Amino acid sequence: MYEYDDIDQTLVDERVAQFRDQVARRLSGEISEDEFKPLRLQNGLYLQLHAYMLRIAIPYGTLSSRQLRGLAQIGCTYDRGWGHFTTRQNLQYNWIKLEETADALADLAKIQMHAIQTSGNCIRNTTTDQFAGAAHDEIEDPRVWCEIIRQWSTFHPEFSFLPRKFKIAVTGSPNDRAAVRVHDIGLRMHKNAAGEIGFEVIVGGGLGRTPFIGKTIRDFLPKQDLLSYLEAILRVYNQFGRRDNLYKARIKILVHEIGIEAMREKVEAEFAASKDGALKLPQDAIDQIAAQFAPPAFEKLSGISAEYANAFRTDFEFGLWARRNTFKHKQPGYSIVTISLKKEGAPPGDASAEQMNAVADIADRYSFGEIRVTHEQNLVLAHVKQSDLPAVFKALKAYDLATPNVGLASDIIACPGLDYCALANARSIPIAQQIALRFKNWERAHDIGELKIKISGCINACGHHHVGHIGILGVDKAGEEFYQITLGGAADEQAAIGDLIGPALNTRDAVDAIDTLVETYLRLRNSSDERFLDTYRRVGLAPFKEAVYAVA
Amino acid sequence: MAKAPKLNSQPQVVTANHLLSGDVVYLTKAASWSRRIADAAVVANVEAGAALLAEAETQAKKNIVIAPYLIPVDASVTPPKPIQYREVLRAEGPSTEKARPAA
Repeated sequence: MYEYDDIDQTLVDERVAQFRDQVARRLSGEISEDEFKPLRLQNGLYLQLHAYMLRIAIPYGTLSSRQLRGLAQIGCTYDRGWGHFTTRQNLQYNWIKLEETADALADLAKIQMHAIQTSGNCIRNTTTDQFAGAAHDEIEDPRVWCEIIRQWSTFHPEFSFLPRKFKIAVTGSPNDRAAVRVHDIGLRMHKNAAGEIGFEVIVGGGLGRTPFIGKTIRDFLPKQDLLSYLEAILRVYNQFGRRDNLYKARIKILVHEIGIEAMREKVEAEFAASKDGALKLPQDAIDQIAAQFAPPAFEKLSGISAEYANAFRTDFEFGLWARRNTFKHKQPGYSIVTISLKKEGAPPGDASAEQMNAVADIADRYSFGEIRVTHEQNLVLAHVKQSDLPAVFKALKAYDLATPNVGLASDIIACPGLDYCALANARSIPIAQQIALRFKNWERAHDIGELKIKISGCINACGHHHVGHIGILGVDKAGEEFYQITLGGAADEQAAIGDLIGPALNTRDAVDAIDTLVETYLRLRNSSDERFLDTYRRVGLAPFKEAVYAVA
Repeated sequence: MAKAPKLNSQPQVVTANHLLSGDVVYLTKAASWSRRIADAAVVANVEAGAALLAEAETQAKKNIVIAPYLIPVDASVTPPKPIQYREVLRAEGPSTEKARPAA
């Protein structure tokens, strides 16, 4: 894992001191709320419905056990003993006091963490594949490149006041688990014809009010040119991106308005002028950072472990969990474990301090002390020996962390919604809870198979509803919560924006509609291997729409 | 965010967030702030609402609260109940927290 050097630590410590001073000046009246607001936002502090909310950056979703314990402690000291993992691989505390925020940030700095780049019109915390450095299908560990992007982008003076926020995601695998096609810039690592590894650069993707799938601006970018090319894109965006209309200020609108060819022309011209300049990455600098992401000391194992095989055969619950919540590791004898934070009926993505501490302990014992956060609001133990899986399952189960539902209908993404968020129009969490409870029966849930339901409480789409196999968007209709349903969205390498099924439904009808959609799928699917999304792509919207709205 | 309805001559109270804690607060008859909507000063016409808001804005300038605004309430019940669901949630807390054991 990456460890701070003196520069990183000084930067974060100084930032805490600056913020402490800014709060003091706000409280003394020296600066007004209007002057203070951008300053607090630049430190991740939002004012939500009931309290301040502090959003902590978890760079590329990687945490050490020490950091996770620190987050648990901060949750106890400054919040109500909880943390909420978000679709940006970050963590939010929902009950923060302004007067204690600088102390919370100081505690974070002690564990090499901060809230920088979690708000404001800057380059936000870079996200990636939660299985980075572990997945069997990976070409290269994308976190090396995320860290390089972090070092380049943090407090970048030219890009601290962009037209709007800017999100970059990186995948090192052809199977995209980082939703790179719906980010401002998506980077997909792949090999060219000569066998060299580089990046496909995708630009102008995004969700929100106007969703777009990103377009490829460059098929292959050599690694050493990464920062020069990113800087060229940012520079073009900074110059031509709209500042006259908040809703048209993201790079996706620029790309849409001028077209990808014109965008490419401008970016390539900028890149040509600067590509061999100061940002060209020297190999030794890359190697230095890559060394910090070196694989842990794996044991040399072969074959299937007897403990694992035995537990799989004899312990039904374990088998169910292992089938859904583990993923193939590149190292023989190891597995990747996804810890579901989606116990049916619980708020998606929430973890208590006790659970965070338990995960930290389990990670220390079984997974080299490392934890990942997924954009689907779960946690991951990236390197677990298969022979340890039964013990890990047992340990997780003791803390309600072994729900065997990863990728299933109850593994729902949901934004905080109107229960917490000042921007929301409708609640997200309660409808997620109600839907998840409908799929609590394991037999039915496993028979349905992969089904990604994503819920947002407003058009800003923090819950990624546009790219849900089933997407749900909360709207306000004359003071009542209604929900629009979309079908056929996807966030992976075949990214797609979902199609609106029809008029919005009230809460009860929306929950019933999800059941109806699933029953319709079960009736229409060719076989149990055909996923909901596959069936939808084969048969289209009509039979689903008919089923939902036919009931008089 | 749902649009705030235009207020006519109907029961209304002033709400804001407390600067230090971020807590939801309501302006009381004594021109102080309370976390309980039960303590809120309820007025029933446009002019009185404007006067109440003016008082609140003075206090915002003194760095006690942030961004005060008027909300319509149903004053026939005790405590007064906000008309908009968003304000009900602000008054009562998140609907999800009720089901959650205190840590």
